[in-house]
Amino acid sequence: MRVLTNLAVKSLLSRKVSVILTVVSLTLSISLYLTIDTLRLGAKKSFFGNVKTGDLILGSRSGEIQLLLYSLFQIGNPTNNISWDSYKKISKNTDIEWMVPISLGDSHKQFRVMGTSKAYFERYEYRNEKKLAFQNGNVFNDLFDVVIGSDVAKKLNYNLNDNIVIAHGISSQSLHDEFPFKVKGILKKTGTSVDRLVLVSLKALEVIHKDWKAGIKIPNAKKSNNNNYNDLEPKEITAAIIKIKSPIKIFQIQRQINKYEFEPLQAIIPGISLSKLWQIVSVTENIMLLISAMVIISSFIGMTAILYSTLNGRRKEMALLRIVGASPYTIFTLMITEALIIAISSIFISIFLIQFLALIFFPILDQNYGLYLENKFLSVKDLLFLLSVLFLSVIVSIFPSLKASKDSINEGI
Amino acid sequence: MSSSNNTLEIKNLFFEWKEKKKFHLNLKAFSLKKRKRVLILGESGSGKSTLLNIISGIIKPCSGVININQTNITTLPPKKIDYFRASNIGVIFQQFNLLEYISPINNILLPCYFTGFKKKNYKFFHQKAFHLADKLGIKKNILTQNKSKELSVGQKQRIAIIRAIINTPKLILADEPTSALDNKNKIKFIELLFEVCEQEKTTLLMVSHDTSITKHFDDNYLLESINKSL
Repeated sequence: MRVLTNLAVKSLLSRKVSVILTVVSLTLSISLYLTIDTLRLGAKKSFFGNVKTGDLILGSRSGEIQLLLYSLFQIGNPTNNISWDSYKKISKNTDIEWMVPISLGDSHKQFRVMGTSKAYFERYEYRNEKKLAFQNGNVFNDLFDVVIGSDVAKKLNYNLNDNIVIAHGISSQSLHDEFPFKVKGILKKTGTSVDRLVLVSLKALEVIHKDWKAGIKIPNAKKSNNNNYNDLEPKEITAAIIKIKSPIKIFQIQRQINKYEFEPLQAIIPGISLSKLWQIVSVTENIMLLISAMVIISSFIGMTAILYSTLNGRRKEMALLRIVGASPYTIFTLMITEALIIAISSIFISIFLIQFLALIFFPILDQNYGLYLENKFLSVKDLLFLLSVLFLSVIVSIFPSLKASKDSINEGI
Repeated sequence: MSSSNNTLEIKNLFFEWKEKKKFHLNLKAFSLKKRKRVLILGESGSGKSTLLNIISGIIKPCSGVININQTNITTLPPKKIDYFRASNIGVIFQQFNLLEYISPINNILLPCYFTGFKKKNYKFFHQKAFHLADKLGIKKNILTQNKSKELSVGQKQRIAIIRAIINTPKLILADEPTSALDNKNKIKFIELLFEVCEQEKTTLLMVSHDTSITKHFDDNYLLESINKSL
């Protein structure tokens, strides 16, 4: 067997160009498949990792997916707010364990500002029951304290006690510059949308918007006295996260909220809504997977074609091997071994290639697209896939190998 | 009855290709005494190579008996034929005697690999190869170079002789080994081959279309005359 492997390796090396091309095409297709699969699963995990907090999301009546996107992912804009009165009324429901309000609308540089309560930091959960943790500092205590996500800190190079100014609206030039905030806490990296949030208290949002109406600063309004912050109860919030005491009650409370008569409200179950969204996304996802599977098949066809085309040129080589004592079976095994060597090399290069790509591109994806991918070595599924590639390479090389061994019997020298 | 004096005995051999029915090989009786050097002459396409293919067990005849050293190879199971060939028959061709991508020494040892270095060990055959190479005027460094590609035609042929003889076969088959050589080298090659066969006590069967070399052999046959066409 060692002799055969040796012969196969040396024979392959003597046909470098075609062999290298075959290995390159197989490597690229294997890597393509694995990368698409990693991105697909990673994106799914990353997205679903965002919706572990609470059982219901309360918001104004609009699209279910829209509410999900703006409340938990801070993608898109809320259509309408909900009144603080409704929030308080609903929170009195004894089946509700806790509620955390969310208020959106302002921004700082390219990052969203989210008003919430201190409870948010305790309640927020992501991926496998992970909780928010502070890299530096702590929760906001004073009115003009902010807590920032790790991406915000990194990108804008902020440290504790830095002053920041919040802009009104999203990508707006009008600043709330009369109210500078102080960075009091920097969160640890979570790989969720929280990394890109500037968190302030609801009260602070109320204060900075006191002299604003319909998105415009009232021109002649007196600057509010900094020391006089009575009546800081918010009038409106954007959404709220609700935790129900018993999971059985989730649907019941969802129904109650959807039927709420004083205001058009809706409650969504984030996991279910995201699944619905994902069904739409997964069509593209499956098409990509299908395309990469086809790329693999085409490179296998390429490999078979090369094995076939070299057969003619190798007739004498095979005849010589037969003469010195190789059996037709040996010829067959030799050819299969060559195909296996090509497949194994391609697999190993692919493994290294995707690890290398992951090292380079995962941080970039995370930073630029908020797609947090865990860099793990091959999963069981990947290994199964690679094994099937190996198996397939044997299958497709059976035909040219059979031909080679048959020719060596039928045609002689 | 097979005689222990014969290295090769062919009886009632019949062969035809599946596709080309016009061509037949039909040998009633043909034998080769031990340590004889015999030449079979024939035109191109007369079936010389086919005959060698059959004798070496690569192609199975339609019927007949082929005894090599008293073993009827037509009744051997396929696996054993290949082993038998590697250990009992050495073959030299006109061209393409070597795998160009492996070293000359590994080319020489190929038959030994397929017989698992029977009886003797690797070192024995390795030394034997170097010993024979030395005799045939091939330097050590040529034998051990990485590939056999760069060798000259003459070097390749001498290495082919060493490969044919390395496993101490009973019979050497040579398929027009001289047709690529000029007259002077032709005679040199034949003398060299005879010398090696003499030393190793091996029988030689050569096929060729070259009538100029007949005088060197113990016996000459015309394939047309021994092949009793239907």
